[in-house]
Amino acid sequence: MTTESDARDELIDLAADFYDQFAAGSIPEMTLPTRTKSNIEYDEESGVWTYGDRTSTRSANSVRGARKLLKAAYTIEFLANQLDDDRSSTLRELYYLSESWNNDEAQFNSQDESNDLVEDLEIVTGVTREDFHMRPEESGAKVMGPLELREQTNRGDREIHCQLDVGQGGYQIPNNPDTIEFLDNDAEFVLCVETGGMRDRLVENGFDEEHDALVVHLGGQPARATRRLTKRFRDELDLPVVVFTDGDPWSYRIYGSVAYGSIKSAHLSKYLATPEARFIGIQPEDIVEYDLPSDPLSDSDVNALESELEDPRFQTDYWEEQIELQLDIGKKSEQQSLASRGLDFVTDTYLPERLGEMGVI
Amino acid sequence: MTSFQSTIGDEEGIAEELAEGQREISIAEFFEKNKHMLGFDSGARGLVTAVKEAVDNALDATEEAGILPDIYVEITEVGDYYRLVIEDNGPGITKEQLPKVFGKLLYGSRFHAREQSRGQQGIGISAAVLYSQLTSGQPAKITSRPKGQSRAQYFELIIDTDTNEPEISADEETTWDRPHGTRIELEMEANMRARQQLHDYVKHTAVVNPHARLELREPGLDEPLKFERATDELPAETEEIRPHPHGVELGTLIKMLEATESYSVSGFLQEEFTRVGKKTADGVIDNFRDVYYGRELSWSPPRAHDDGDVASAVSEAVANKGAEATTAFAEGVAETVENDDRVTRSELAAIVDDVAETVEGDTGKTFGGTVRENAVDAGWRAITGRGDADDEEADSGDGPDESPLVPDVYALVDEATSTRKDDAAVQSMAEALARRFENLDGDAFRVTRDDLERLVADAASFVAEQRDATFGETARENVVEAFWSRARTVPDDPPKVKSIAGDRDAAADLLEAMRTTDILAPPTDCLAPITAELVEAGLRKEYDADFYAAATRDAEVHGGDPFIVEAGIAYGGEIPAEGSVELLRFANRVPLVYQRGACATTDVIKQIGWRNYGLDQPGGSGMPNGPAVISIHVASTNVPFTSESKDALANVPEIEDEIELAVREAARELKSYLNKRRSMQQRREKQDVLGRILPEMADKVSEVTGRPRPDIDGALARIMNNVSVEREVNGETVSLVVENHSDVNEQLDITDIVSAEPTDLSDGTVVDMDGEWFVQWKPEIPSGDERELTYAVDGDPEFEVSVGGVETEKLTVND
Repeated sequence: MTTESDARDELIDLAADFYDQFAAGSIPEMTLPTRTKSNIEYDEESGVWTYGDRTSTRSANSVRGARKLLKAAYTIEFLANQLDDDRSSTLRELYYLSESWNNDEAQFNSQDESNDLVEDLEIVTGVTREDFHMRPEESGAKVMGPLELREQTNRGDREIHCQLDVGQGGYQIPNNPDTIEFLDNDAEFVLCVETGGMRDRLVENGFDEEHDALVVHLGGQPARATRRLTKRFRDELDLPVVVFTDGDPWSYRIYGSVAYGSIKSAHLSKYLATPEARFIGIQPEDIVEYDLPSDPLSDSDVNALESELEDPRFQTDYWEEQIELQLDIGKKSEQQSLASRGLDFVTDTYLPERLGEMGVI
Repeated sequence: MTSFQSTIGDEEGIAEELAEGQREISIAEFFEKNKHMLGFDSGARGLVTAVKEAVDNALDATEEAGILPDIYVEITEVGDYYRLVIEDNGPGITKEQLPKVFGKLLYGSRFHAREQSRGQQGIGISAAVLYSQLTSGQPAKITSRPKGQSRAQYFELIIDTDTNEPEISADEETTWDRPHGTRIELEMEANMRARQQLHDYVKHTAVVNPHARLELREPGLDEPLKFERATDELPAETEEIRPHPHGVELGTLIKMLEATESYSVSGFLQEEFTRVGKKTADGVIDNFRDVYYGRELSWSPPRAHDDGDVASAVSEAVANKGAEATTAFAEGVAETVENDDRVTRSELAAIVDDVAETVEGDTGKTFGGTVRENAVDAGWRAITGRGDADDEEADSGDGPDESPLVPDVYALVDEATSTRKDDAAVQSMAEALARRFENLDGDAFRVTRDDLERLVADAASFVAEQRDATFGETARENVVEAFWSRARTVPDDPPKVKSIAGDRDAAADLLEAMRTTDILAPPTDCLAPITAELVEAGLRKEYDADFYAAATRDAEVHGGDPFIVEAGIAYGGEIPAEGSVELLRFANRVPLVYQRGACATTDVIKQIGWRNYGLDQPGGSGMPNGPAVISIHVASTNVPFTSESKDALANVPEIEDEIELAVREAARELKSYLNKRRSMQQRREKQDVLGRILPEMADKVSEVTGRPRPDIDGALARIMNNVSVEREVNGETVSLVVENHSDVNEQLDITDIVSAEPTDLSDGTVVDMDGEWFVQWKPEIPSGDERELTYAVDGDPEFEVSVGGVETEKLTVND
């Protein structure tokens, strides 16, 4: 990845591109990959899904395009200054900060606009927003497990053991997990858990201690930091990664973004996605096998499942079989539904059985 | 019960009593009581109507004499009354005619003429005179100087309302400074509350009469309102035309039949109507015969040696002519008949005459009228079994004998109906029809198409009842057509004009025949449209707008009167944008100022979807809003008004259609203008926004990169699809670089004004204008191309470049 001074140079280079286009008498423009489902492709080499060859052009040829590029120029200046000063800011702060710019046309109309622009700049410069020192609003999730690490903070480096030095809540993942250095670990595998309730259940039952698991809380659609850290566990500590979510189409997408990368950040898939991550459950098969309490699929669930069948990321034999089975039985179940067999069922029976099947333990 | 009738009957002499109170009403007296019908319903309106009638007359008179109209209107207050003076430079009116023109209602030259003119009934100006005398008691004072006379004639007159005759109170010669013309002075009780309508009338008259000069003085005006001429071209002279056969009504036709000097229908048609020559008249007469007499059904003759052999029948009918002549005659007739597939009785008679004459020539025997008639009867009996052989008919009784017509009828019915009809149904239809044909009056099977349709329908319902086989509408129509197309128009001469005139039904038949015959549209030289250019010129003269369009339609006909519709639209500029558009209505070049809501033109405008044409129209119907003036002119030899006061056009569908087409034609131009204007406006807005954003972006990128501000004009010109003209001065060499970034070739007109003398021009021309030099180029630059125009100049001169040939929105000049 890039260093901070590289990041600044990349931004200045982009501004210089605009400058050169002006000077040559041509219309400034910025070309980006088209960010739609139909334009993501499987990258054989890295095993993740990235943007394909189709591109769209932001050109100053239209009023809309010109406004976008003007905002880009202002944002480039802001980011370059921020890097010079070694400060950081959140995406939301960028949105509000634009109000202070002396140009009405350059101000953002909504936060979506500023978020999108930062993503555009990431794609064009090849620099992640973390390296621009831009943070998301939501904090990263939490880790619990036998791992010792060193984090660079504003108040100096801290050495933390993620079981011994933390409370019941676990270790809070910082916005830029690349500031973390792994020191030592006894972990056997990484277990990413969708819901807070299930994470708490596993911690309360001592699952991390018993199985030397690094329990990572995803908290719904996982933040970049969480995905990045998960990838580093896999790449640097060589740990198997499994993902444990509810048994419904929305949760499969959470798995998908961990394993394959998300459509919006497909440009960062190589940096964020963990293609080796495997899905542990709840599988549609489990609903049948364990006779779990379930809810019927709603219309939007069915639509989501059908759209997943067309999503290139889910076009594997495993997923096609599972999704078709689910459409067939018309049911979905939450992680917590395992509690119908007792509070310890998940830690004593379900997870060990599934991990055993998958050859993780 | 006591009836009312009997009560009256008891009172003797009541009818006589009533009769005493009944007397003739003079036309002048009638209008005295019904002033509103002529537009004199109030003092305010009376004044406007009087001006209108006098000005219309003046315009008609001058145009007829080929004089460019110069009309002066003055209104002054005289005590409690208003005095109205109207002067024109027309040809003047002779001493003899003058009192009648002004002093007699319904006296005029145009009522009977099919020709476009403003006045038609000869009521208008005399009604104004009448109104003036009724309200002020003053006579009308009229001066007229016919062209070429040294002195003018002065009259004072009133109308005797009992007799509708002028009553002259002064008649003397006088002097007048106009070389020719007419002046009328009326005093009337009036007010100026309708000042706006008066001004509208005069202004709109100026719009549709760009060849006229008008001046209006009235007490409320500090300065006289003057409308100058926009053209010296008089409207085309109009020709009077006769009525068109498609446009007369039954009553008119009967009157014309009574009045004509023609003896035959053919002569009548050719004499009294336009577009009717010999051929058209024959066509009308054939159609007339078909409706008046009906056609004769035709039948196929029996083949030789069939049972009813024509030859033997004819030879039997001939007596005392000798065997040779008889045989020659009989065989001649039979052969000729057999040559025809089908024959009617009239045709048979013609054949008999023809053959008789030949045989007479060959043999010297005489075949007189009786012999020929007998031969026709016998031959016809042989063909159709029809004739006055009473005994045979008695023999046949009501036996199963079928009519000899049946096979013939069957063949036609079978051919005319679909193959799916079962044979028995066709057979019984044929029998039923044949029976009905047998019952026709006379031997010749004459039937009109209407009757034929009735017979077929009758037979079909009979068959439906008896056989349960339906002959639907289409099948019946096909059967009727099969017989009608094989029936022949009879050779009888049409009745003479006099007898048609006395026979209402015959006249109705003639009218139907006239309407069903194809006849050329009436000629249009009886009309004087303003023409699209002058409609536009008129609008241009009186409305300061951004855009004008006009359309003139081709002539059409309604009720035998040709008419032409013209429409014009002015948009933008000084026309007020608030409220609904202004609608100018004109009929034969006369502005219509009252009763807008009752006018067909208003109805048409309201039902056009103006949003399609770029005008605002609340609710999608009704009067559109916006800065526009729509003018509509209907010119016709007979403009259909809703009332005698001639304020509003009646809703005649043919005229409404043409109005709509004319307005839409002009509106389409408006639409493309507005679209272009809108896209230019968008372009301007884009230019404004980009012209602000891009320099800021350039500043920002130069700040970030730490480089000097880049030159962005090239990028700007390219974005705007623009033509950019940029000056570069390099020592003594001046060059103008012209780049065409638009997607079309541009033909430019570039002038550079230099304060020192330029030399070494790359091309182009230079003109010295008092120490300033105009360097001119007219380069054509293809899309995407550029051109460098150079010259050399000494010192440090001043430049000023101007560029033409391209819209300013598309131009970026960097001087």
